[in-house]
Amino acid sequence: MATSWPKKRRLIGTKIQRLDGPVKATGKAKYSYDINRPGMLHAVLLRCPHAHAKIKSLDAADAEKMPGVKAIYAIKKAGEELYWAGEEILGLAADTEEHALDAVRAVKIEYEVLPHIVKEEDALKEDRKTVSPVGGKRDNVLAAKDAADDAFDKGMTDAAVKVEGSYGVPVVCHQCLESHGLVAEWGEDGGLTVWASTQAVWGTAVELARYFAGKYKIDLPAEKVKCITHYMGGGFGSKFGPDIQGLVAAELARTAKAPVKLMLDRASEIVAGGNRPSAYGKVRIGATKDGKITAYEVDCYGTPGVGVTDTVTFNALPYVYPIAYKRKHTRIRTNAAMQRAMRAPNHPQNCTLTEFILDDLAAKLGMDPLQLRLKNLPQNDAEKAKIAPHSLDALKNTIYTREIEIAAALSKWKEKWHPPGKTDGVVKHGIGMALHTWGGQASPQSNECTVTIHADGSVVARTSTQDLGTGQRTVTALVTAEILGLEPGQITLEFGESTFGASTGSGGSTTIPSQSPATLRAATAARDDLFAKVAPKLDAKPEDLIVGVEGKILDKAKNKPWTWKEICARLDKEQAKGTGFWNYGESIKPDNRDVSSSGVGGVQIAEVLVDTETGVVRCTRIVAVQDCGMVVNPLTCESQVAGGVIMGLNYALFEERIMDRATGRMVNPDMEFYKLGGIEDMPQIVVHLHDMPERGVIGVGEPPVISTHAAIGNAIFNAIGARVGQTPFTPERVLAALAAKGGKR
Amino acid sequence: MKNFTYYRPKTAEQAVALLDDKWGTTELLAGGTDLLDLQKEYIAQPDKVIALRDVGINQLRLDGVDKKPDDFILGAGMTLAEIAAHGGLKEAFPALTTAAGDIGGPQIRNMGTLGGNLCQRNRCWYFRDEHTPCLLKGGDKCFAIDGENRYHAIFTQGHKCVIVNPSTLAPVLIALRATAEVLGPKGKRKLKLADFFHAPSSASEREHVLKPNELVLTVTIPYPKLKNASYEVRHKQSYDWPLVQAAVAFQYADNKATDVRIVLGHVAPTPHVADAAAKALEGKEVTEATASAAGEAAAQGAMPLSQNAYKVKLVSVAVKRALLTAAGRKKYWEV
Ligand SMILES: Cc1cc2nc3c(=O)[nH]c(=O)nc-3n(C[C@H](O)[C@H](O)[C@H](O)COP(=O)(O)OP(=O)(O)OC[C@H]3O[C@@H](n4cnc5c(N)ncnc54)[C@H](O)[C@@H]3O)c2cc1C
Ligand code: SF4
Repeated sequence: MATSWPKKRRLIGTKIQRLDGPVKATGKAKYSYDINRPGMLHAVLLRCPHAHAKIKSLDAADAEKMPGVKAIYAIKKAGEELYWAGEEILGLAADTEEHALDAVRAVKIEYEVLPHIVKEEDALKEDRKTVSPVGGKRDNVLAAKDAADDAFDKGMTDAAVKVEGSYGVPVVCHQCLESHGLVAEWGEDGGLTVWASTQAVWGTAVELARYFAGKYKIDLPAEKVKCITHYMGGGFGSKFGPDIQGLVAAELARTAKAPVKLMLDRASEIVAGGNRPSAYGKVRIGATKDGKITAYEVDCYGTPGVGVTDTVTFNALPYVYPIAYKRKHTRIRTNAAMQRAMRAPNHPQNCTLTEFILDDLAAKLGMDPLQLRLKNLPQNDAEKAKIAPHSLDALKNTIYTREIEIAAALSKWKEKWHPPGKTDGVVKHGIGMALHTWGGQASPQSNECTVTIHADGSVVARTSTQDLGTGQRTVTALVTAEILGLEPGQITLEFGESTFGASTGSGGSTTIPSQSPATLRAATAARDDLFAKVAPKLDAKPEDLIVGVEGKILDKAKNKPWTWKEICARLDKEQAKGTGFWNYGESIKPDNRDVSSSGVGGVQIAEVLVDTETGVVRCTRIVAVQDCGMVVNPLTCESQVAGGVIMGLNYALFEERIMDRATGRMVNPDMEFYKLGGIEDMPQIVVHLHDMPERGVIGVGEPPVISTHAAIGNAIFNAIGARVGQTPFTPERVLAALAAKGGKR
Repeated sequence: MKNFTYYRPKTAEQAVALLDDKWGTTELLAGGTDLLDLQKEYIAQPDKVIALRDVGINQLRLDGVDKKPDDFILGAGMTLAEIAAHGGLKEAFPALTTAAGDIGGPQIRNMGTLGGNLCQRNRCWYFRDEHTPCLLKGGDKCFAIDGENRYHAIFTQGHKCVIVNPSTLAPVLIALRATAEVLGPKGKRKLKLADFFHAPSSASEREHVLKPNELVLTVTIPYPKLKNASYEVRHKQSYDWPLVQAAVAFQYADNKATDVRIVLGHVAPTPHVADAAAKALEGKEVTEATASAAGEAAAQGAMPLSQNAYKVKLVSVAVKRALLTAAGRKKYWEV
C-alpha cells in the first residue's frame, strides 16, 4: 500500500519542545557514563606512548598482583608493532578506577622505538615508510589519484582571468562531550548487555554477538546481546559499533565475571576517539571577464592517519559548482590515529578547496562574490525533473537561488558587503558566504518502529534507534501523535535498546528519513488496527472512523465524536498494534514518492570583526539557511543547524590537532590548548529553515556544519582584503596575511 | 594519581612544619585547580598534600582584604573570584580585578586562590605530558625550542627552558610594586613580587624563588593612587590564556606620566619588566603616539622562537592599549 504523509498536518512543522529536555537538564537522564551496576569493575586501557614502536617484551605479572585487579586482557603481544601514540595495548579491570589506573602503570613494557612521521609535509619531503603495511607496502605517501574533464584545457586556456591560491584545513578531533565507552555485563543466561555511548544501537549489538560467538565458539544469538543507549552525548560519526573499548570491556567482564565500565578519559577521547582528516591544496581557477567560471584545478593532499582513505570527496571537486575540472589528490599516511567519519565526512574539506578561491576570483574581477555565485550555480536538470521532480538535481538552481536570496536579505548583504579591505578603522568588519550540499536519504537497511495502543488509552512507540541529542526521540513521539490525534507528551517511548527492532546507525544524516516514515507506517497501522477492533463494539464501520479535530475520533457516518479514551476502552483486554519499516528501497518506490527523499543545499553568511593590530577575529553573526525537505520539528531542526554552525565556527577559528615532530605525540590532547569556543566566542546565529514539505523528509544533521568555516574565511577576506588560507584563523595567521599584503603594496 | 597522605593543619606554622626542604615530596593545596591536574597527569607525585583551607581563618589573615589607610593586604587564600568582585580593589586596582576576573571560567575563579596563582606551574605542553622527559622533569633537553612553541617565550635570552610564566596576576602585582609576606621554618620574610619569580631549568627548581618549605601568607599592595590597567590579547575570549599580556601603572598628574612601570606577561619564563618602555613614557602625556612608542620599546630585544614571532607585535599593541586604558583614553579598538 502506498505510504504518504497526511495532507493536513497538525503537529508536523510546528515547534515541539524536546521531550527529554527536563530529564537532561535536571540530570535524571542516565548516560552510559552514569550507569553503575552492582559489583561493577572499572577498566582502563594502556596506550602506546610512542608514535611507532615494536613491543620487545610485555610483562603484566606485577600489575596482576596490584590491589583490586580482577582481569587483564592483552590486545597486543610482544613482537607486535604499534603505529601511533595512543594505540591500545592492553585493558585492565579493577575494583576502583584509581586501582585500575595505578595497576596499569605497573605493566612492564620494553619498546623498540622506530621512526615515525606525524606531519604531512615531512612525509612529502621524505617518505620513510613508517606506517603499517598495506598490500605489503609501508609507504607514507600513496600514489596520487587524478582525473580531468575533457573541457578543462580549453576552459583554462580561454579564461580571461586566472587566480590561484593555497588553502587548507588541519586534522581536527571529534571531541565528543561524552567520551567513548560503555558498561558491559554478561548475564546468567550467557547473554551480554552493554550500556554504550554509540550512534548505532542495533549495529553494536549485532557486531558484539558476531565477535564473541565467533571467537569463543559459543551460541550467542543476536537477541541475547542487548545494547542500551537511552541518552547519548554526541558521536559526530566517531561512534559506530563496539569499537576497541567495547570488545575489551566485554572481554574483561567475561574473565572477571563482573560488569565492567570502560569510558575513555579526555586525553584518550581526543587522541583515539576520532578525527577528521586534513586537506591542503593548491587551487587554480579561470573565468571570463564577466565572471563565468571556465576551469578549476586542484592538487591536494591530506592525512587519514594510519588509514588509507581519501581526505576529500574526490569526485565532488570542485564542490557544488559544475566547472570543467582537473583534480589530483594524494593520501599521506602518518603515525596518528586513523581518521573516522566526522559530520559530513570530507565535505568541509571540499568546501575549503572551492569556496575560498571563488572570493579571491570575485575580488580580481571586481565583482560581488554573491553575484559570482549566482552566475555559476548548477542548473536544474530537466531530464531528472521528468522522473523525479522533487529531487535535488531537478531543483538545484531553484533551491540555491532562493536560499541565497533569503540569506542575503537576513544578513542585509546589500548594505553590508563592501569591496574586500575597503573599510576604515583598526577593527574591520567583513561579510562572507559559502554554499554546501549533502544527501540525507533513508538508509539502505531497514529501520523499524512499533506502535501499541492500550485499552487505557496509553500509546507506546518502540524503536531501537538512538537519539544522539538530535531530537529523534521527540520526532518519533511527534509523528505518532500526529497520526493518532494525540499530543507528543502522551506517547510513551521505548527507545534506544537493540531488542526493540531493527535500526541503522546514525550516519549520513539517515536517521530521520529512515525513522519517521517507519513511525508513520507503524502509527497508521496501529490506528487502523484500533479502528478495526473497536468498530464492531461501537456499531460503526472501521472505514467510517477517522481522527478528527482536537483529538476526537469521529464516526463519519453518524457524525458522532468519541474521546480517545472512550475509543481505546473498547479494546478491553486487547491491544492495537502496528509495525512499520522503511529503507532506501521503499523510498524510491513510485507509490511512496516524497515520503522521504535525498539531497539538500544550504547557504551560510558570516560576519566578522577583525582587529588588524592583534589579528584577533570575532565572528559576530551567522545566517544559516538550510533546506531539508519537510521539516518535521522546526525547533530541534533549528538546534541541529545552530549546533552545526557552532562546530563550523570552531573549525574556522580555533581547532587544530597539533602533533610534535620529535616525539610523534599530540601536544594538545585536552580542552585547554585544543581550543573550542565558549559563550563569549559565539556569534548571533540566525537559522532559517527553507521548508519544502512536498519533498518529504531529508536528514539535516550533517549539512549545516560544512560551510561555516568557509563563510567565516571569506568574511575575513572581505574585512582585510588579504586571504588567510588556512584554518584555524589564528591571530598569528591573520597578522601574517596582513603583513604579506602590506609588503606587496 | 599517586596515593598521598592528606594533612589539614590549623596554622600556617604547622603547615610549614609539614613541608620537606626539597621539591617533589610535599605540596601545599590551596584551591587545587592546578595541583590536582598535575597529580592526575602524574607530573606532581607528592607523598604528602597539605591543605591550606583551615589556616586562612586564623590570625595569620590568609583570607580577606584588610583595608589599611595606605596598603591593601590580600590574604594568599583569597579566591580569584573574591579579588575580581571586591569593590575597594576594583576602584584602586582595576588592573588586578580585570586580570583576576578574566582568568579561566567561574569554576576556576571560585576555587583558585591568589597564592596558588602566584605559585602555579607553567603550562608548557611538553611539561604537562608525562611521556615527554624535558628539562623540568629531569630530562636533558627542552622539546619546545625546536618543537611546537607558538605559545612559548619570546624573550628567550639565556634561557634553557622557554616557558612563559602563566600568572596574569603577577605582572599586575609587580607593576603595582606589591610585596609578599612569606613564612618559612625560620619565620617570616618579605619579598618584592618583582623578585618573586625565577626562570627554572631543572627538576629541582620552580617558577618562583620560594624554598620548598615556605608558603605565601599575604600580598601587600601599596596604595599611592597609581593609574593602572592590564590588557590581554587572547585568541579565544572565553576560557583561554592570553597570548600576551601587558600590565602598566604610573602616577599621572598634569598630564604627565611618572614612576612608570610596564610589565609583560606570557612572553618570558618570568614576568618581564619592560624598563625601556617605561623610560620611553616617563614624563610624557599618554597619547596614542606616546603609548605606541612605549609599545615599540617594550618589544625591543625580543628573540622569538621558530613559531612565535607574532607575539612581538602583540607586545607593542598590548602595551599601547594598556597605557591608553589606564589613562582613561578612548578605547579605539572597541567597536
Ligand atoms: C583553563 C584555565 C585557564 C586559566 N587561565 C589563567 C589565566 O589567564 N591567568 C592566570 O593567572 N591563571 C590562569 N589559570 C590558572 C589558575 O589561575 C590557577 O590554576 C589558580 O590560580 C591556582 O590556584 P589554586 O589555589 O587552585 O592553586 P593550587 O592548585 O592549590 O596550587 C597551585 C600551586 O601553588 C602552590 N601554592 C598554593 N598556595 C600556596 C601558598 N599560599 N604558598 C605557597 N605555595 C602555594 C601549590 O603547592 C601548588 O604547587 C587558568 C587555569 C585554567 C585551568
Ligand atoms: S619549555 Fe621548559 S617545560 Fe617546556 S619543554 Fe622546554 S624545558 Fe620543558
